[in-house]
Parts: sequence; C-alpha cells; structure tokens
Amino acid sequence: MSDDLEQSFVQQLKTNQNIIHKICRLYTNGEDAHKDLFQEITIQLWKAFPKFRGESKFSTWAYRVALNTAITLYRKSTRSVKTVDYESQQYFISNEDYNYEEEERLKLMYKAVYQLNDIEKALVYMYLEDKDYGEISETLGISEVNARVKMNRIKGKLKKILNP
Amino acid sequence: MKELDLLKKDWQNNNAFEQVSELEIYKMLHTKSSSIVKWIFIISILEIILWTVISVFFNTDDYLKNIKHEELDIYFMALTVFNYAVILIFIYLFYKNYKAISTTVSIKQLMKDIIKTRKTVQCYVWYNLGMATLSLLFGFYIAFAYNPDVAILMNKIGNNTKVMVITIGIFVLIIAAFLGLFWLFYRLIYGTLLRRLFANYNELKKIDL
Repeated sequence: MSDDLEQSFVQQLKTNQNIIHKICRLYTNGEDAHKDLFQEITIQLWKAFPKFRGESKFSTWAYRVALNTAITLYRKSTRSVKTVDYESQQYFISNEDYNYEEEERLKLMYKAVYQLNDIEKALVYMYLEDKDYGEISETLGISEVNARVKMNRIKGKLKKILNP
Repeated sequence: MKELDLLKKDWQNNNAFEQVSELEIYKMLHTKSSSIVKWIFIISILEIILWTVISVFFNTDDYLKNIKHEELDIYFMALTVFNYAVILIFIYLFYKNYKAISTTVSIKQLMKDIIKTRKTVQCYVWYNLGMATLSLLFGFYIAFAYNPDVAILMNKIGNNTKVMVITIGIFVLIIAAFLGLFWLFYRLIYGTLLRRLFANYNELKKIDL
C-alpha cells in the first residue's frame, strides 16, 4: 500500500519537477544550492503528500508547498550574500537565445530578483507563472489589495536595482 | 516594466533544467534517515577518539606504580582491550546500519532498519553506562584494597561509624554524579539523533497505514 503511494508520488513529482526547479532558480544562486533546495522541497512535499487528496491538481498543490518551504528556509538563513557570482547565474540563461544584449539584460534581471526577500521572490514567482492576484493572496495569506501593492513595490525595487 | 516582460518570456520558454530521475527522487526521500544514521556512525568514532585521548592523559600505570601494585596492570589492560573490542564491534554495527539505510529502496525495510539502528544505539549507551559503573567500582575496590594512603585513612575512621557513613555517602554521590554526567552526555548526543530518527520513523509509519 505504502509503496503504491510512494510510487505515485515519485511519478507525479518527476513529471512536475520543473515547478520545483523554477522555484530553486529564484531562491538559490548556484548548482549545489539548487540541488539542496530541490531535495528539501522534495522531502517536504513527501511529508505533506498524505494530506494531498487530489482536490486540486498535483502541480497547484506542489508549487504551494514548495514556495512555503523556500520561504521558511530562506527566512531562517541570514541573507548575508548579496552578490551573485557571474558563473553561477549563467546556466539559467537559455542557449537558443543568441541575442547578446537581451541575454545580458536577462542576466541582470535574474540577479536583481535574487536580491529580493523571500516573500518578494514568491510573489515574483507567481507573477511569472501568470497566477492571478486571488491565488497569490490565498497562497501567501495576504489580502488581494496587499498583494497588488506588494507587486508594485517589487517592480519599483527591481527598477532601482537595475538603474541605481 | 519592460524587463519584467522580458523575464516572463524567458521564464515561460526556458525550461531546460537538468531532469531528476525517479531513482534520484527515491533516494532523496530516504537520505534524511541516512544522514542521521551517518552522524551516529561519525560521532561514535569521534567518541572513541575522545576516550583514547583522555586515557593517554590519565595513565593508570603511574597510579599503580605509586601504590606499588604494578601487577594489577594486567587487569586494567584486559579491561581496556575488552572495552575497545566491544566498542569496535558497535562501530562496525553502526556502519552496517548506515549502509543498510542509505541503500534501502522500500519504506518497510527502511522502518525496520530504523528500529534496528535505534536498538543498536540503545545497547551501546547501556553498555557504556554499565562499563562506566564497573570501572568506577573497580577503581574504588583497588583504592580500598591496595592503596596504603586509603588504608591509613580507613584505620582512622574505622572506629567512628558516623564518619564511615559520611564517607560511604560521599562515594555513592561521586559515583552517581559521574554516571549522571555520562548519562547526560549520551542523552544529549545520541538522544537528539535518536529522537530525530524516530520522528522520521513516525512519519513513515503514518504513510504506511
């Protein structure tokens, strides 16, 4: 019985693993940190899995648990590292894109997002994933108005980081 | 914001992540226990090193020489050799447990391995506490039976029951304090690890209904 549960979990996670990879991309700055966070999220998902009854899609449930894990984890650790080394960010950039200028701007963008705090990163994640503000507010436990205000502030913050 | 749109475009098109295989996911689910068991293994080795270092500084040879009963050294040697042999066996068992847990692929087997590890650690702690008691009693016995200083002291207080009772009381207190310290030491180190391991076990059990 348990092996079935485990198998079903592993299979669904494998299919939906890009959700976690994307969250790791925002919260970490290097391959090792990426893998560590991926594993931590996997364990948290597995712990929470018995409570997942399939009322929502696995992907919706998974991204919420994963975001919460990333938020709690990065709240605990002091964000002393403010700079991102050039190499570690490079592998995030797609190879198909040969537009040098665009690539450079993207790199700076990812760098800027990395400097945001845990909650802000979560907001950016959901914004990039095209989640509506209703869902954002529900996931983060804040009001819809607050979510909108926060998102606007993030845009301002990013602008400031990009054009100091 | 132009940059954010650019980011969004890249975000939604660029999904070239190194994919994790099913086997790797299985492994991730089990490494938590295996890392705890790994620590039990490492700490047991550190502990044997610690005791060895301490025993180098507190040499029983000099003490025996002082009380002029060097022939007793053989007993201490035997006790030490026996102790190291048993501890090495435990370290081997810890290593075996660690290997077993880190290579398990099913939950049922993992749970069995956790219980086994827990038992091994409990035996180890009880053995160490027992050995500490035995060593202390042995030490006191030698002091009373062979140490001339103690014999003189004993003669002096032998006639006074009140002092005698107090002395025995102090010895009992010393033994209790030492054992308490030992117990605390093991409880802090292995107790914490075991609790975590057991919490993990309970989680697995919930899933295994």
